[in-house]
Amino acid sequence: MDFRPSRLAVVANCVEAFIREFFDQNPLSHLGIITIRNGIASRLTDLSGSPEAHIKVLRGNLECAGDASIQNALDLSRSFLCQVPTYGHREVMLIFSALGTCDPGDVLESVRNCKEENIRCSVVGVAAEIYICKLLCEKTGGIYSVAMNEAHLKELVLEHVAPPPALAEAAVASLVKMGFPQRGAEGTIALCACHREVKIGGGYTCPRCKARVCELPTECFICGLTLVSSPHLARSYHHLFPVPVFEEVPLDAKFSGIQELSKVCYGCQQLLPLAGSKVTGVRLVCPRCNKHFCFDCDVYIHESLHNCPGCESFCEPQT
Amino acid sequence: MASTPTPADDVSLVIVVVDVNPYFWVEKANASTGTSDIDFEQFLQHVLAFMNAILLLNHMNYLAVIATGSDSCSFLYESLAGESVSDGEGKPPSKRMNKHHTPSAKIVRGLKDFVSKELAFKTERKDNGKRYSLLSGSLSMALCYVQRILRQDPPHPHPRILCFQGSPDASQQYIAVMNAIFSAQRLMVPIDSCMVGSQHSAFLQQAAHITGGIYMKPPHPEGLFEYLMMVFATDLHSRRFLQLPRPTGVDFRASCFCHKKTIDTGFVCSVCLSIFCKHHKECSTCGYSQVSHHRKEAMIHQIFKQILAKKWWKC
Repeated sequence: MDFRPSRLAVVANCVEAFIREFFDQNPLSHLGIITIRNGIASRLTDLSGSPEAHIKVLRGNLECAGDASIQNALDLSRSFLCQVPTYGHREVMLIFSALGTCDPGDVLESVRNCKEENIRCSVVGVAAEIYICKLLCEKTGGIYSVAMNEAHLKELVLEHVAPPPALAEAAVASLVKMGFPQRGAEGTIALCACHREVKIGGGYTCPRCKARVCELPTECFICGLTLVSSPHLARSYHHLFPVPVFEEVPLDAKFSGIQELSKVCYGCQQLLPLAGSKVTGVRLVCPRCNKHFCFDCDVYIHESLHNCPGCESFCEPQT
Repeated sequence: MASTPTPADDVSLVIVVVDVNPYFWVEKANASTGTSDIDFEQFLQHVLAFMNAILLLNHMNYLAVIATGSDSCSFLYESLAGESVSDGEGKPPSKRMNKHHTPSAKIVRGLKDFVSKELAFKTERKDNGKRYSLLSGSLSMALCYVQRILRQDPPHPHPRILCFQGSPDASQQYIAVMNAIFSAQRLMVPIDSCMVGSQHSAFLQQAAHITGGIYMKPPHPEGLFEYLMMVFATDLHSRRFLQLPRPTGVDFRASCFCHKKTIDTGFVCSVCLSIFCKHHKECSTCGYSQVSHHRKEAMIHQIFKQILAKKWWKC
């Protein structure tokens, strides 16, 4: 079963969904798009943090022609990623539909260069498994997966949205100077630094050079200070403080009498299964707060909410 | 028995999160400046009347009430539970009209149970003068409840959350509250806030800005019911045609982890994203220092080699 209406259209849809999810989960990250056409890799968009800019250019550029060249793609990606500061994580994701690669030189040398520069390359194959892609992913520590149908392709592409766990040896920590601008009041008139136009109301003022920028996160166009707002940083905190995995409670477990099995889920107040009752399903418990939850709440808590209601509703006694 | 709602833009699920932190209400009563302020009993009267009004505005509206204490949070009332009687017995109509089974009576009974449980918590552990209410817990429970309603067969009511908050923001709950706000944004559930204390809450201002809710601090709290009816009673669809309080300004500045003061520029650790006001050699949250791991290992290796060389020379 092939992809309808065309592979390119399906892949473009997946990439658009990926871009939106990616900036939702990683608001401080930058993304750039490279296309390979007739064996030549060319830059479609520069590394930037604005999803709309990428999607607009992507939608306007949907043609395919000729062979694919993995070496050219990797070399061009490396030239962009070498500008990334050392504390940043560098990744290349290749969505590959061809059955081979047509390179001007030795593709294995490009793979070696990527590994030396700590660039993690992953490939999502649309057609079939190819040895060079598998080798690339193995050498650089990425993930290689091949899609079987449209839904599977979207699932595989969206798997790369969450940041991979950083290896302690590879990460270099540094304290990066950032500014937290205030939102301008409605009605103020100023010249914005990004579009060089007069804008009325809204906007953010750089704390260092007082230039006005239209949206966050961005780098100030005048002084180069990275400007973010605290929700942007907060969006990534859940990766650092994950909710513990809930354990299943066997329904016939005998509790030592301290507490009875609660009848309702702590989160949504739905009836939970009990030995002998008509309600079916599973009952899960949080290992930290010992509150019971239903299966749907467990899925929602771990995938979207990232807070355990039981742990948050319980005040730790101060020692 | 209520049938499943027909598609209508004005059916709402309103989850009311009420701050019943006793420390806040007692302090407020002690600092009260006369008739221009309300105590807990008057506040409850206004809020109960408002909740009855919500249920009257549309016979298919759903209401749930969560109490936020300083030691725990819990559901006080769900209008859904009263309708779907799972054991098959429907209450006879005369009993339903009984004053002990009205929503207000149920809420007050629930509140009494909740407060006695909170007192039990306090006597178990030493009273440590807690000032903060557990807003993150109530918001998380409210969102799980919204998810449950959205899982039922369509069409669903339009959910929204209304918080009555008076206690100050707890900086240790920042991450949990922001997680709840982002999840509400994805579910398209607006978080409205009505401040009943004397100070503003940066968390709830950000919540209203990010989720598209309304943030309001009534200047004359003795007329609270009027504010509630004018601003918070209408359903989401009708809000587009009304002039509602506009946000005056949202403070998006961060506070540094070391002194908790708001800063304009700061230093962010690239590993754990903690914010500091001054440059440090080491991040106090994750313990990562600027010296890279490779260099540290190389240094340790060098020192080891020297020690071994000396030992070898000696023997």
